[in-house]
Amino acid sequence: MAWKDLLVERRSKETLNALLFFSLALLLVFQFALGPDRERLAAVLPGLLWLGFILSGVLGLGRSFLVERENDCWEGLLLTPGDKSAIYLGKLAGSLALMLVVEALVLALFVLFFNVDLGPALPGLALVIVLGTLGVAAVGTLFAAMTAQVRARELLFPVLLLPVLVPVLLGTVKVTEALLLREPLAGVAHWLKLLVAADVVYLTIGLLTFDVILEG
Amino acid sequence: MPDNWTFVAAAYGLAAVVFGGYWRWLVRKERELAALRLPRPSRP
Amino acid sequence: MSTALGWLAAVGLAAGLVMGFGVAPREVTQGNVQRIMYLHVPAVWVAYLAFAVGVAGSIAYLAGRRPGADRLAHAACEVGTVFLGVNIATGAIWGKPTWGTWWTWDARLTSVAVVFVMFVAYLLLRQAIEDRERAARYAAVLSIVAALNIPLVHFSVYWWRTLHQPPSLLKPGSSTMPPEIVAALLVNFAALALLGAYFVTRRARLLAAEEEALA
Repeated sequence: MAWKDLLVERRSKETLNALLFFSLALLLVFQFALGPDRERLAAVLPGLLWLGFILSGVLGLGRSFLVERENDCWEGLLLTPGDKSAIYLGKLAGSLALMLVVEALVLALFVLFFNVDLGPALPGLALVIVLGTLGVAAVGTLFAAMTAQVRARELLFPVLLLPVLVPVLLGTVKVTEALLLREPLAGVAHWLKLLVAADVVYLTIGLLTFDVILEG
Repeated sequence: MPDNWTFVAAAYGLAAVVFGGYWRWLVRKERELAALRLPRPSRP
Repeated sequence: MSTALGWLAAVGLAAGLVMGFGVAPREVTQGNVQRIMYLHVPAVWVAYLAFAVGVAGSIAYLAGRRPGADRLAHAACEVGTVFLGVNIATGAIWGKPTWGTWWTWDARLTSVAVVFVMFVAYLLLRQAIEDRERAARYAAVLSIVAALNIPLVHFSVYWWRTLHQPPSLLKPGSSTMPPEIVAALLVNFAALALLGAYFVTRRARLLAAEEEALA
């Protein structure tokens, strides 16, 4: 399933390209909204970064089940024999890979445009990005499947998703802040534990309830 | 500390309006549905 | 049963008013504005109780697929949202004279606000789906996510705020409450819980009638 999505994605590149340009536009807007004051920018950088990640994630995830609908494959998904949680994991892996690629590129752009020196913070940053993105994708895939068949879905999907993501957003921003200030990871260990807990909770719910959503 | 009775009145008043409004909405909806259902059995 | 609950709630609310304004003394540091607490605090307890009932109903629906369980879940989550709204509004009215501001991003306020938004989203999702059976399934999943998310929200928001202010500020002298105040809180809790139960039974009945009318 993930393989299929990634193949389709690599062939068309439509979502990836659009997401990248969306992130680029966000970057520009952030810059204009905050002005050129470098110190103020540095103070809000972790928040901006994660806001960008989550917004592009919302757009990307919102599309992940739409592709099936547009191509009339929804019935096929419903009729797939066996465990529906395989579909969930496949969709999740596909979205996760897409989001991680976009995030890596956005991070590079941030370094370029805002002149941040990541250096030794990079391994920690990679860890928190994977943990945070997994949480976003796990609950996002579940909600995207839920809203794919609903009217006003473009509106409803973020309305459902954003409040649920508050713990993930807080945790990732706090850890990123500490990393950019070159503080040791031990000081934010409780946040990392919270992120892991969130990932486990969302993944478990997703695996257990995806059957229910794909019933019809 | 001053007593701020107006704030107390506002809080209890607001709660009364919200709970009362919700109750009235429930009662009204129930009546509407009952009115909808009544003519039905008389129809052939 | 619904009517009996309604009268019980009415009696309870009257008793609660007597306790809150007659029996309980004027609070020393805050003055009479503290009497808002007899409404504010029980409202949030009832709201969380209603959400617990709602999630239990959702799980029961997913397990047994009885429409009654879904109606209970829907009614309880809606009533819980109403009570949480009252809690937030009365909290703001209390906060203005006491803290000098309607709203502050304090840990408790923030986490309650996030929970409120999650359950408003739940109600929006229910509204957006016409097919009752599918609405029931999706909403049940959403309410389970929201419920399990509550502890995560509480921890994260608490840590987020307590980096800036000591936790002692959040609980001003809760251990020294006079017994009359505790009694008034408990009576009002019982009264609002009865009111909530009355609303839930009424709402569930209305949902059943709606389904019948549509069928």
